[in-house]
Amino acid sequence: MRLQHYLGGLENLGPVNFFEKKVFMAEWEKRIFGIHTVMMAESVHLDKSLPKYPLSEVPTTFKDTWTWASLRIGAESMQPFEYFKYRYYEKWLMGISQFFIDRGYVTAKELETLTEHYRAHPDSPLPEQPNPVLKEQVVRYLHHGDSGLRAPMDEVRFAVGDTVYVADPEAADHTRLPGFLRNKKGTVTEVYPGAFEYFVSTGPDGLDGPQHVYCVSFLASDIWGPDKSEPNTVIYADLFEDYLKPVHSM
Amino acid sequence: MSSLFEYDKDREAASAAKVRALEALLIKKGVLGSDSVDAVLRHFETVAGPFNGARIVARAWVDAEYKARLLEDTPKAIAELQFQGMTGAEGEHMKAVANSVTVHNLIICTLCSCYPWPVLGLPPYWYKDPVFRSRGVREPRAVLREFGVTIPEDKEVKVWDSSAQIRWFVIPERPAHSEHLNEEQLAALVTPEAMMGVALVPSPPPV
Repeated sequence: MRLQHYLGGLENLGPVNFFEKKVFMAEWEKRIFGIHTVMMAESVHLDKSLPKYPLSEVPTTFKDTWTWASLRIGAESMQPFEYFKYRYYEKWLMGISQFFIDRGYVTAKELETLTEHYRAHPDSPLPEQPNPVLKEQVVRYLHHGDSGLRAPMDEVRFAVGDTVYVADPEAADHTRLPGFLRNKKGTVTEVYPGAFEYFVSTGPDGLDGPQHVYCVSFLASDIWGPDKSEPNTVIYADLFEDYLKPVHSM
Repeated sequence: MSSLFEYDKDREAASAAKVRALEALLIKKGVLGSDSVDAVLRHFETVAGPFNGARIVARAWVDAEYKARLLEDTPKAIAELQFQGMTGAEGEHMKAVANSVTVHNLIICTLCSCYPWPVLGLPPYWYKDPVFRSRGVREPRAVLREFGVTIPEDKEVKVWDSSAQIRWFVIPERPAHSEHLNEEQLAALVTPEAMMGVALVPSPPPV
């Protein structure tokens, strides 16, 4: 099991840091958020996206697929105790820097040397090299997004009102199945029209190509047991079809 | 847990220098333009943000038929208001759920930090914190009490875990004694926390 997939339900954690309403805890965090979002806006998979992005006309040397999954794979395959040591955007900075090194866009040495430079001269400027066509693509992406909606290939396997069990696939680097729902019994409350592409394969976990997605409700007592759950509480999750099994299969 | 934010200055300075070096290298290598990151940040100041959600909520409060349409087909009802970018990144498939006298809704993302960008902007730190993501699904009522919201036992709590394409947001209940406010004044009362289900909208001060 991967601890990062099982956050839901961990006990003994103390209070939520609910006083912290800031999005960014330090100014530098804005920059890594921005870099990630630009990468999403110039990801090569967007040439097959629903809004027909003119990606071939965008002057960029970025030639990889970059989606949320890329970032999540990095965070979910971290050593779990390390995962909790770092703040949200610190993990982004580690994952994204490593990606650019691994894919050969920059070398570790270059990054280290320039980091030392900016450490010594924090106010020294960035290179002035605007890219108006890329900027236009970034704005277009932010306005029109990247929907995974696709035409369904198969009939839906479940209907509203069906009782379903959640599957327990092999743990993989990445999943969209919250761990606390594995092997639990729920009820289909909505069958979303169409099928949804996740853009990357999660391997033995099961996501690969467009699938139907269902909204499934779970009684809190069915998940946590009557003694550990709060009364009159229902949890809803959107689950890809491969994560569900019919009740008679159990 | 308060010590979580007491990072040593060195750690912050190191990250700040590293991200600046990374951005500089990516600009030099043609992966980014020097105006790319700023374009992203500007979007969240002017186009996508909780100011949109607040106006949608206020409209739903003053127009029951609009509220019904919003719950029935959220993107279509939002499109009526003609805001920019409402089906954009992280808002491709949004759904609104409404609080009422019998139901209280809470949104969460236990696996990461999925959030409806066009209507709420970027998520506050606490939403991404592992403690909220862990406790919000097992003891939502206890978490809500820590946020200062007590939900009576006979009121149902619904927790929406954003694990696939849908990005959920909450239409809070209209506060009592707000009949004299117009739509714009009502929108000013609506906080991001209220649209995530961890706060109620307080009544305005008496006139």
